[in-house]
Parts: sequence; structure tokens; C-alpha cells
Amino acid sequence: MPSKATRFVHGRIVRNTGHGIFYRMEVSIPDRIEFVPGQFAMVSGWPGNDPLLPRPLAIFRAGGTRSRATVEFVYKVVGRGTALLSGLHDGDPLSITLPLGNGFDLGAPDRTWWLAGGGVGFSTVFPAGVALSQGKAEFEMFLGSRTRDQLPPREWIPGGDLPGRVHLCTDDGTAGFFGTVTDAIRERLAALSPPGRARVSILSCGPREMLSGIAAAAAAHGVPTQVSLENHMACGFGVCWGCVAAVRDGDRTAYRRVCREGPVFDAGEIVW
Amino acid sequence: MSASGTFGYGLEFSPFYDISRLGAVVVKGLSLLPTAGNAPQRIVETPAGMLNAIGLQNIGVERFVADVAPRLADAGAVFVANIYGRTIEEYEGVARRLSELPALAAIELNASCPNVKEGGIAFGSTSEGLSGLTRRVRSATKKPLWVKLSPNVTDVGKMARVAEESGADAVTLINTLVGLAVDHRTRRPKLSNVTGGLSGPAIKPVALRMVWEACKAVRIPVVGIGGIQSAEDALEFLLVGAAAVQVGTANFRNPNACVEIIEGIREFFAREKIARLDDYRGGILLRG
Repeated sequence: MPSKATRFVHGRIVRNTGHGIFYRMEVSIPDRIEFVPGQFAMVSGWPGNDPLLPRPLAIFRAGGTRSRATVEFVYKVVGRGTALLSGLHDGDPLSITLPLGNGFDLGAPDRTWWLAGGGVGFSTVFPAGVALSQGKAEFEMFLGSRTRDQLPPREWIPGGDLPGRVHLCTDDGTAGFFGTVTDAIRERLAALSPPGRARVSILSCGPREMLSGIAAAAAAHGVPTQVSLENHMACGFGVCWGCVAAVRDGDRTAYRRVCREGPVFDAGEIVW
Repeated sequence: MSASGTFGYGLEFSPFYDISRLGAVVVKGLSLLPTAGNAPQRIVETPAGMLNAIGLQNIGVERFVADVAPRLADAGAVFVANIYGRTIEEYEGVARRLSELPALAAIELNASCPNVKEGGIAFGSTSEGLSGLTRRVRSATKKPLWVKLSPNVTDVGKMARVAEESGADAVTLINTLVGLAVDHRTRRPKLSNVTGGLSGPAIKPVALRMVWEACKAVRIPVVGIGGIQSAEDALEFLLVGAAAVQVGTANFRNPNACVEIIEGIREFFAREKIARLDDYRGGILLRG
């Protein structure tokens, strides 16, 4: 079941602005929330019944004071729901259930964390970068997109306000590494010495092909990897059983809810 | 009350409100053994609705009895178990096991799930199948027995009557309507099961009509389900004769939907000075 801290709230948009292919939306909510990086919210804010279901959005930041709390989301328009969200203005009301799901496990000490974000998957790994930075942990971030224009704005990228190293990757080579995040990670892992590899842990969110590629490369070198999955969701808090992913259960395949047992899974569990 | 399959095992809603406030929590369909369900993709959004093909993934009756039922009782919830089997014997076995639970308020027979090849709709789509199943489960339990009917039949009033004559204490309807979603680019069905069950506000007019027909056909209580999102929707079902309503897909959109609907009905009755439900129920005014 959702944690005791999970709640359904009515909020209001403070700002909702486009930055290239991304939108960043700040929402005022009744009370300050605590969240684990990788957790998400179910958000709806359009009139009528079409589309019917709220949309899952990763929690990008949360802050404010007890009396003036805010939560932020970074999203990309991928369908009608997110298109409608992108058309909302300051002061418009939203309904939000949050925080939901299990986030990244940042508990292992003395690791070198590699944070891999493909496309809007950036918004899911970004809070992990913030948390690792606050804990003075060592991390590097790999951010990928098709072209330079589709990368997150520079000012959002840790390295500006966070002390981690950032590797930009573009499919067409217009910025940073010429290739995908998966290619970059595969190359870096191969180049590291065995003791260096033994310290690496990977956190990742992005297209399924990216996650399965990273999982395979990491498994080949015995590098622990957490993947944040996406799926069609109806409820977001574990009651509809619509969002399941296939996982290994001994020698069988079982189905686990992305919204409840996930969205973060050990990459080795997933049946890709 | 909540509709089965849209409310998990009930405890998932405890962070949002006290589940003892509901008339009843109708839990997710239970089979004798744990069931894995269908492969993803399991849900598709449609205009004002959704298709699902979960395939009755559930924890099985033993784990429900051991782990969930005591917690529902501790939470003060009135709870009803929806049950499902691949064979009549499996239905009977689940009903017998659940009958050992003193706190269980009723058993709801799922004779209408469209997403499994065996059981479910296979029993609920013919008079003979429904009658045989209802009679056998009726003999297996002393608990109040509700039969959840399918809308995927020609005459739902007739099926309600069959359930009544076979020993049902109430009928609940409607379950989901069979639908199909196709991706025009990939040319493939969107659901791995190909077809799924349509729910949400898109089905409300169909549900309302079928509940009305069932209410005219039987003397036992009719529980209305289908696209109820607001107190106004629920009141419409009461107006055509439903004794109670279940709320399903609306819980996905708004976890507080059930309690908001209860409060809305209460406020409407207070505003309209309606003292008792029976003063309003079945009061649809028809021309002529």
C-alpha cells in the first residue's frame, strides 16, 4: 500500500513554462512533502473526463515552508494528457496524489554513482544527484538525447549547482559524446580497472532500450544497477494492477506493479 | 461501496481516509490459488474511459484469509469478497474457505469477468451457466451471496432473474463491457489480451439502462455499478431503483471518490429534505 505519507491534494500552478522540449511546472500544495529521489506523483488538472486518468510525473523538487509548500515537475509532451498540462497557466488548479512508489536506494556507502538519464528520464535521476550532492557522495551524470536541442537547459544540469561531473550524449553528435548514454556507459565501464568498476553503482531512467542496454553492460561487469521503469498507469498507488512489469521469480516470470513495487527495480530482476 | 478490482484489498486506501466509512469494501477477485494475470500491456485509456485486461491477478484465498481479512476487520471495514474460479468446484472451494471468516459480510460471485478464458464470462453469459454456478455456490455457503452480472448479454433483466431464482441474495451490475483498442501504426492490438473490459464514465448510460431493467425484473436488491464518479451519478442509479452503488474507475482518478460521493448524497438528501433512501430510490418519473 502507499506509505502513510501519501496524500491526495489540491494544488495551484505557480509557474508552468516551456524550455525546449521540456516543461517545468511548480505547484503550490497545502503541506510540505518529503520524498525519496525516484518517487513520483499522479497529476491531473484539465476539465472533463477526456482524458480520464491522471498522469504519472517524477517529482523533480519539493520545498518551501510548512505554510507555503511547493512541488516541481519536469515533463515532456508525449500525448493528450501532457499536452493539456502544458497549456495550463499560473493559478490553475491541479489534483495530485503523492509521493508514490519506491525511489532509488542510495544507501550503499563509498560508491561512485553513475546517474543515467535519457530524454525526460533526466527529471527522475536529477533528484538523486541533489541527494548525493548533499551527502557529499561522488557521482557522475550521463544525460542523453537525440540532438543538442533536446538536452535539458544548461542551468538545470548538476555541475552548474552540483559538484558532479556531467557527460552529455547526443545521438547525432551535436553535443558531447557522439552516441547514446548506453554507448557511453558501456565504453566507460570497459575502460575502468576492475577495482574502479567494483565501486560503481548505476541509477538510470529513460527509454526501455536504453535501460536494457545499460542493464546488460552493467551485468557483464557485475555493476549493481537500479532502473526506473515507466508504464501506462491508471491509479499510481497499487490498486488497479494495470502497470505491471515482468520480473524473474526463481525460474518463473511474475508481474510486479511499477507504481508500487517500483518504479525503481534492480536491473537484474527485470525480464527485458 | 467500492467496486471489486478497483480498490485492491482496501487497505491501500487507508492513507487517504478511514475505510470503515464505506458501506462496504469489495475486494479484488479471489481465486483458490494465487493467479499471475495477463502479460502487459494491461490497460489502455479511451475517450472518457479505460480498457483493462488485468486477468484477475490476485494473492489467492489463503493469503487473503491469513493476511488481509484480519487487517480489514481491525480497520473496522465491512468487507465483501469477490470470488472467481476456472471451474465450478473452484468457485465452491473459495466460497467455503471464505465462509469461515465471521467478519466477511457477503460473497460476490464474479460470473462476468471478460478477461479470462475460463470461468468468469463463460458461466455468466448463458442462463444455464449462471444458474448452475449460482446454485452450486449457494449450497456451499451460508453467507449472503451477490451475483455480479455481465453487460455482455442480450437480456440483462432475464439474467438477473436467473440469479434470483438460483438463490442469489442480490445482483450487482454491470461488470465491464468488452472492447478493443488497436494501434493504427503498428496494426497491433494495444492490449496483450487483445480485448479488454471498458469502464469509466463512457459506460454510464449503458449501466444505468441495465440497472433499470434489472430492477424491474427482480425483487432482490440490485447494486448499481458503471461510470459513477460523483454523487449526482450515484443518485441517478438510486433513482432507477438501485439499492446501493459501487464506485470503480473513479477511485483511480481520485482516491477520495467514494467518501466524496457518500458526503454528496448526504448533502443532497439534507438539502432536498429527503428523510430516507426509500423515499427517493426507484423514483424515476417516466412520461405517459
